[in-house]
Amino acid sequence: MNGDPGDRREIPEIKLPNLDPAVLQRALAVLAVVVVAVTSFYTVGPEENGLVLRFGKFERVTDPGLHFKLPFGVERVMKVPIQRQLKEEFGFRTVRSGVRSQFSTSPYADEANILTGDLNAALVEWVVQYRVIDPYKYLFRVRNVGDTFRDINEAVMREIVGDRTVNEVLTVGRAEVAMVVQQRVQELCDQYDTGIQVEQVVLQDVNPPDPVKPSFNEVNEAQQEKAKLINQAQSEYNQIIPRARGEALQTVREAEGYALERINRARGDSARFVALYQAYAKAPEVTRRRLYLETMNDILPGVERKVVVDGDLKSVLPLLDLGAARGGEAR
Amino acid sequence: MKIGSIILAVLVLVILSSSVYVVKETEQVIITQFGKPVGDPVVTPGLKFKLPMVQTAHRFDKRFLEWDGDPNQLPTRDKRFIWVNTYARWRISDPLLYFQRLRDERGAQTRLDDILDGETRNAIANYDLVEVVRTSNREPEQGDLVAEEQVTLDPIAAGREKIRLEILHNAQQRTTDLGIEILDVQFKRINYVDEVQRKVYERMIAERRRIADRFRSEGQGEAMRIRGEKDRDLLEIQSEAYRQAEELKGDADATATEIYAAAYGRNAATQDFYGFLKTLESYPEVFDGKSTLVLSTDGDFYRYLTDVDGK
Repeated sequence: MNGDPGDRREIPEIKLPNLDPAVLQRALAVLAVVVVAVTSFYTVGPEENGLVLRFGKFERVTDPGLHFKLPFGVERVMKVPIQRQLKEEFGFRTVRSGVRSQFSTSPYADEANILTGDLNAALVEWVVQYRVIDPYKYLFRVRNVGDTFRDINEAVMREIVGDRTVNEVLTVGRAEVAMVVQQRVQELCDQYDTGIQVEQVVLQDVNPPDPVKPSFNEVNEAQQEKAKLINQAQSEYNQIIPRARGEALQTVREAEGYALERINRARGDSARFVALYQAYAKAPEVTRRRLYLETMNDILPGVERKVVVDGDLKSVLPLLDLGAARGGEAR
Repeated sequence: MKIGSIILAVLVLVILSSSVYVVKETEQVIITQFGKPVGDPVVTPGLKFKLPMVQTAHRFDKRFLEWDGDPNQLPTRDKRFIWVNTYARWRISDPLLYFQRLRDERGAQTRLDDILDGETRNAIANYDLVEVVRTSNREPEQGDLVAEEQVTLDPIAAGREKIRLEILHNAQQRTTDLGIEILDVQFKRINYVDEVQRKVYERMIAERRRIADRFRSEGQGEAMRIRGEKDRDLLEIQSEAYRQAEELKGDADATATEIYAAAYGRNAATQDFYGFLKTLESYPEVFDGKSTLVLSTDGDFYRYLTDVDGK
């Protein structure tokens, strides 16, 4: 609040009494002119409005620039920065703002500690940006507008958060909370005639209370772990199943190959047989004998031991030492 | 002569200065004459006049004034101890009454302490904690929570707003004869006392653990399901391939057999010829160097060895 009157009165310097009265008179006149000039003009900054009071009564609002008012404290000026966007912080304070601002939170934990509708607790930090739109109300209708505005904000945020679950406040409901708080704060500002317009309510960090934080993190970790386990199993699946599909296809293709071969061979064999038989049928006796003799001719030279017995001999076996035939088979 | 005029000037100044007074935008004034109030309160700002010396101007604030209660530790109906911090906005609606009853703002603040703290205490003691915290029975948004984590809230009967209005209403009635109008009462802060707070934290931690355990076991369950699916799919794929392969082979074998049968079994002669041929074909494989052959001269091959006619 700018309660500082805009004008400054010059304290007249007391001249030494041994001066010529005429000089003194002239000096006093000059001084009077200076005082009038200084107390009659004032400037209003580009972001401000000036409110002129005559004997304490509000007279007029003046825009930025150089202005005239009645001198000697008859009219006084109060200035309100109506163009400037003002800001209040709750639950933390910006210690040093800049590119990398520093924040302090711990002393303001009480401000941020709010009960939720499911009777849990959450630490809510928020910022309210506002402007003075009615400088008259802002200056004259409410004592301690700053404190009043802070009180309104704290009460409203608790009212709104108190109507939501901790989960809503921490996650899904953040934007909605900010929106409703803004509306409600504006309502109360209007009701109290503060002349303030709320531009924006921004929820900053919304956290579970410190002692509970690790367990909230644990939930996050568990969620990640769940995803990890599922991914691992999925990747195992992906490693094995496509390969098995390929192998299965291989087996089937091989079987198809087998089938083709088998049938082709059957066809080939039978064609050959048929051809052979047709030739054979023309002279069966001779061909049969020829085939037989050819075969015998082929195999007999390879057989090491051959015993030829007379057909009249009834039994030849007693004569043979079959054991000496190197374990060979007797036919 | 000169001294007399100076005295006169000073006297005029004193009288003038005590008969003129300024009422600021934020003020209202009542005039008393020897302690007795005279006339209506002056509520418009500007330069005003009164009788010098005998009348006194008493200034009061015209604005909305603040009342900020001390945090009180109060029990709710369900025997929970909470810190309750309220604030109120009030104004002096009847400066004369106010002046008579309370004299100044210190007196007013003390009375407001009594009234508002008392009404707050009464109201809080009449309701369960949840009624003080919540305002409505709105359905909470659940977001992406699984069914078992979702919070259902017990319905409330009154709610914060109603309790607040109750306090406001009761307090307003008690301040009308004080020249005070209470505009608004709000719960600024409501919090558990430390001891309860700890228990609440413990409960929250247990709740989170439960949810975390759920996630883990869900993850494990899901992983097992996928592994099971993998085993099942693997066996299905392999056995399906085996089945197809065997069917193909069986069909081929059957076809081949039919083809052979058609060729070899056309009539008795082909059957005989096949038997003959197959037997001959197998001889070279059956006999090797180690075999001993005992052949009778009755046989076809050696029959000419003993008889040129083969008889």
